[in-house]
Amino acid sequence: MKIIYLLKKEFLEIFKQKELLFMMIIAPIFQLIILGYVVTTDIKNIPVGIIDLSTGKSTTRIINRITGSDLFDVKYISGVNRDTVKELKKGAVKSIILFRDPVKTGAKIKKYPEVQILMDGVDSNSSRIAAGYFNGIIKNFILDDLEVLGISPLVKGKPLIRFNPELRSINYMGPGIVALLLTTITLFITSISIVREKEQQTIDTLLISRLRPYEIYIGKALPMGIVGVIDMALGVLVAVVWFDIPVRGSLLVLLISSVIYLMAILSYGMLISIFSTSQQQSLFFSWFSLLTFILLSGLFTPVENIPVGLRWLVSINPLSYLIRIIREIFLKGNGIEQFYGDLLSLIMLTILISLISIFNFKKFISK
Amino acid sequence: MSNNIIEIKNLVKKFGRFTAVNSISFGIREGEILGFLGPNGAGKTTTIKMIMGLINITEGEIIVDGMDIVTHRKKIKDKLGYMSQKFSLYPKLNARENVEFFAGISGLSRDKVNNKIAELKEIIHPDIIEKSVENLPPGIKQKVALFASLIPDPEILLLDEPTSGVDPKMRRNFWQDIYELKKIGKTILVTTHNIDEVEYADRIVILHRGNIIVEGEPANLVREYDVDSVETLFKEAVKKNERD
Repeated sequence: MKIIYLLKKEFLEIFKQKELLFMMIIAPIFQLIILGYVVTTDIKNIPVGIIDLSTGKSTTRIINRITGSDLFDVKYISGVNRDTVKELKKGAVKSIILFRDPVKTGAKIKKYPEVQILMDGVDSNSSRIAAGYFNGIIKNFILDDLEVLGISPLVKGKPLIRFNPELRSINYMGPGIVALLLTTITLFITSISIVREKEQQTIDTLLISRLRPYEIYIGKALPMGIVGVIDMALGVLVAVVWFDIPVRGSLLVLLISSVIYLMAILSYGMLISIFSTSQQQSLFFSWFSLLTFILLSGLFTPVENIPVGLRWLVSINPLSYLIRIIREIFLKGNGIEQFYGDLLSLIMLTILISLISIFNFKKFISK
Repeated sequence: MSNNIIEIKNLVKKFGRFTAVNSISFGIREGEILGFLGPNGAGKTTTIKMIMGLINITEGEIIVDGMDIVTHRKKIKDKLGYMSQKFSLYPKLNARENVEFFAGISGLSRDKVNNKIAELKEIIHPDIIEKSVENLPPGIKQKVALFASLIPDPEILLLDEPTSGVDPKMRRNFWQDIYELKKIGKTILVTTHNIDEVEYADRIVILHRGNIIVEGEPANLVREYDVDSVETLFKEAVKKNERD
C-alpha cells in the first residue's frame, strides 16, 4: 500500500513538470517522424555533371536514361571539357560522368563511347552506391541493345526481394528508431530519478521512512517503465500509420521483448543515478552510454562491420538484441522460434544488469 | 547516564583519510532539547546521518533506546523523525500532496492520511495549500516540513539546520512549536549555526573539526567559563581549538 503513494508521487512530479511531460510523450513522436525521413540509406538526387565529348549517338541515349532517373539530379551537360577536380572540389556536383570517343577508331567500336565516372569520395558510402547506380544504367543499356540485336546473355540474374520488396530503407530503419527512442527517454529520466532526490535532500527522508528498500527501487523504476511502454506504443503507431511500415509479427511478442529490454535499461539508469552526485553528472553518463549503445547496436551500421575482437561489446549491449528482434517482428513476421537465441541472451543480460543494479542500490542505502 | 535515549560512545567517521568525526561521546536525555552547534563542516550532519543509520560508522557505537544502530537499524528508524536543511519537501508538489505522500509512506491508513491533511489545513492557510512548495516562503515550508516529519509520530526528532534562511519572527514561532513538542515528551536534537538560538536549548554540544569542544547547559556554561554570553563562549572555544 505504501508503494502506491510513492508511485502516485512519482507520476505527480512528472505531470507537474510540463517540459518533462513534453519530453517524454510529444518529443519522441516528433523525433521519430523527423529521424524517419533523415535516417535513410536511400541515395537519391545525387548532383551530377555530365561532360559529353563523344560523337556517337548512343551517348545521348545513355544521358537520357541518367536524366530520366530520380537517382540523379543532373546539374549540367557540357559539350566542352572542364577541370573535373576543380568541379568536385567546389562541391556543386558529387560526381562527373565523362563520355568520349574511344581512342581506337573503327566504325563498330565507335558505336559506344568510353565512359569515365569521377566520384567525390569524401562520403565513401554514398559514392560507392552512386557508382553502382551508374554501372547499372550502363549495363542495362548494353543488355537492351543486345536484345534488339537478338542476342541474349548466357547468364542473367533476376533478383527477387522478400520482406521489403520495394527496398524502402524506412522499413528497416523505422523499427530500430522506435527502439532507440525508447532507450533515450527511459534511460535519461531514470538516471536522474534517485539523484534528484539526493539534490533535494529528500532521499534521506525516503530512506528513514517505513518504505522498504525494494519498495523504493520499484517505486522509482516502475513509473518510468510505464512511460516507456506508452512511448513504445506511440512509436509503433507512428511507424505503422505515418510511415506505413508493416508489422507482420506478433505485437504481444514485441511488447514482451520490449518490457524485458526496458527492465535492463531501467536497471542501468538506476545504477547511473545511484553513483551520480548531481543531475548534470548523471545526464553526462547517460549520454555517453547511449552513444556507445547506438554505435554498437547495428542500428546505423551492420554489426558485421565491427572488428571481430570488439564484437563482444555488441553482445553485452542490450540495444543490439532489441533492434534485431524488433526488425524480425516488423518485417519478417518472425516469432520466438526464430529469434529465441537473441531473446534468451537479452533475458540473461537483463537479469545480470538488474542484479548489479539492485546490489549497488542495497549498498548505497546501507552505506 | 541511564535516562539517555541516545548514547554516543567514541564515535568516529572517516571518509578516506579525512576524519569528519573524531571520537566523540555524548548523550541525549529523554525529553530534552539538545542544541548541536558548530561551524560548517564541523561534523554535525555526518553525526545525525550516523544516528539515522544512513552512513556507516567507522568506529564507536550509537545506542538508541537501548538498541545498537548497527544491529537494529530498522527498529531505530521507526523512532526517528528527520527534517533536513532543505526541508525535505518535493518542490513541484503542493503542501497537501507532500503531506499525503509522507503520511502514505509512513504506513497510515487512507482515513488517517485524510486526517493528517485536515490537520494541515488548520495550520496552513487554504489559499496556499494548493501552491507548489517551491513557491512558498521559507517560513511556511519550514512549518510544512516540521509537520511532515512528525507524521510517523516519532519519539526523537532530528532537525538539521531547521531555521536556515528563515526570518527572525518565523524562527521564534518555530521555537515555540519545538517547545510544544518538548511538552508532549519528544526528544529533540537541533543543529544550528545561529548562536542566539541556543538559549532555547536545555543543553548544548559544540562541535568543531569533528571534536566536541564544549558541552553543558547554556546558563551553567556562561558562569563556568566566565563569559557574557554563549556567543562569546562559542567564538572563544572555536578560536582556542583552532590554535590547538
